[in-house]
Amino acid sequence: MKTMSDASEITFSNYGIYDLGDNLELLLPNTLIKFQRISDNAFSYFRENSEGQIIEKIIPVKSNDVKIELVPILPLNHPAKRTNYAFLKLDKEIHLGENSAASIFIQCPIEIGIFLIYGDSHEPLDWVTCNPLHSRFSLYGSPDTGTLCKYAEVSLATDYNDSISYVNGVMHIVIENTLSSAQTISKVIFPITENNLYYNDSKSILDGIKIIMKKRAAVNIAEVKPTLVDTEWTPAPAWDKSVESVHHMEMTLE
Amino acid sequence: MVIELLQSLSEMQLVGELTVLSLLIGGIIMAGGIIIAKIAKLLFHKYYAPSLPKDTAQNISKLIYFGILIISFLGFTSSQGIDLSGIMVAGGIFAVVIGFATQSVVSNLISGLFLIVEKPAKHGDTIDLPDMGISGTLLDIGTFSSKVRRFDGTVTRIPNDKFFTSNIRSLTLSTVRRADALVGISYNSDIENAILVMKNEILQTMPFVLQIPEPEFRIEALGDSSVNIHVFVWYPKDDWSQAQPILLGTLKRALDNAAIEIPFPQRVIWSGKD
Repeated sequence: MKTMSDASEITFSNYGIYDLGDNLELLLPNTLIKFQRISDNAFSYFRENSEGQIIEKIIPVKSNDVKIELVPILPLNHPAKRTNYAFLKLDKEIHLGENSAASIFIQCPIEIGIFLIYGDSHEPLDWVTCNPLHSRFSLYGSPDTGTLCKYAEVSLATDYNDSISYVNGVMHIVIENTLSSAQTISKVIFPITENNLYYNDSKSILDGIKIIMKKRAAVNIAEVKPTLVDTEWTPAPAWDKSVESVHHMEMTLE
Repeated sequence: MVIELLQSLSEMQLVGELTVLSLLIGGIIMAGGIIIAKIAKLLFHKYYAPSLPKDTAQNISKLIYFGILIISFLGFTSSQGIDLSGIMVAGGIFAVVIGFATQSVVSNLISGLFLIVEKPAKHGDTIDLPDMGISGTLLDIGTFSSKVRRFDGTVTRIPNDKFFTSNIRSLTLSTVRRADALVGISYNSDIENAILVMKNEILQTMPFVLQIPEPEFRIEALGDSSVNIHVFVWYPKDDWSQAQPILLGTLKRALDNAAIEIPFPQRVIWSGKD
């Protein structure tokens, strides 16, 4: 299995749609995926992930017209699906003066989903992460009433092309400070399930978010809303369509 | 022939105006009601309950079942021409008598209702009842008793009045929980370095341990043989098995890899000449 350090020597499989044929092998950093036809109506699926775990499945298919789509998905599944919220800790704090705004790009972690395509329908088959060490949990708030979030320390990106293949997607964040005092932003917590992903070759981007820091009565709050990205990149199907949508959130400023 | 049979049944009077035929019709109404109640409950469990929280599903299920039974009973009484107002008055008197005679039963019934309303714990919650020494998963809050499946797989039935009046410690109500472990390192070891290697090992190999709040290390005691460090880590409430049972092993591995000694009890003896 090839690792990230071997990336210069080998070509990893791009995101996109693949015909199953009789055999199909997809190679990702630290991850190997194999499909093999075992009969007219069935395939075997083999996947070895970055932690050495092997998963094997038998996939009965209704017709020969079955395809596979390899796409970036939201980073909510590893090590287990527990939350819809992301906690992104910025490696460098952002200082925002009174009544000012900032527009930044950040590296947001992603996972990779494998879908079966029957005609127009996408059926989730499996997911992998190429960087499991960066997939952790954190708590926002107190232990009894707080929100469990997926946690990642993220760096600023220059633009949408700054995506790290298979590991990070780029997200645009607009921050508006309408308060009469300067604010320092060191982390962003938001329901990430409203953010769609898009891919191009091995790069990915996510819908952005807009954060408005404002005063409500006597309390300073940050209102977070998703914003659609205007791109020609291919939209990735949602991994879990059954998740409850949270359209925006508000949090008290510390 | 059937008509003749029904006619003969309608003429057979049992008590007052109560005939065999009306009793038969009443029985059919009650039996039909029970069957419909069971079918409605079954359909609800099959098609709707899976999408609802467990306790809500249980309560709605009971409401449907007993609601249909009560409606059937009212149908039965009206088919027999029974005047319920008279029963109500007599029932009031009987209720007082029965209430005194069956205090514990009524107490359990009322406690069960309060438990359903107050919801100190929901179906599926992991709870600890320290007064009774019972820990496990709450399976059901019934009419008179509740059931808890203990961690060894056995199910304990607890009368509702005892359950209601005891201390209930919920292990799943909070978003996260904390695991802890105590380790000792030798007096020769660098404490800061030991903490650093343990923290790194936890964060790298225990994916369910929270990064925020981060693992906490407290120097608990300067013991007889070791410097004792108490380690605390937080984890998502449902992932106890991914934290507490493996924490101590992780700490030992970290200390072993860094060649930090975990001392056994030892005594230094000085002879008189020294």
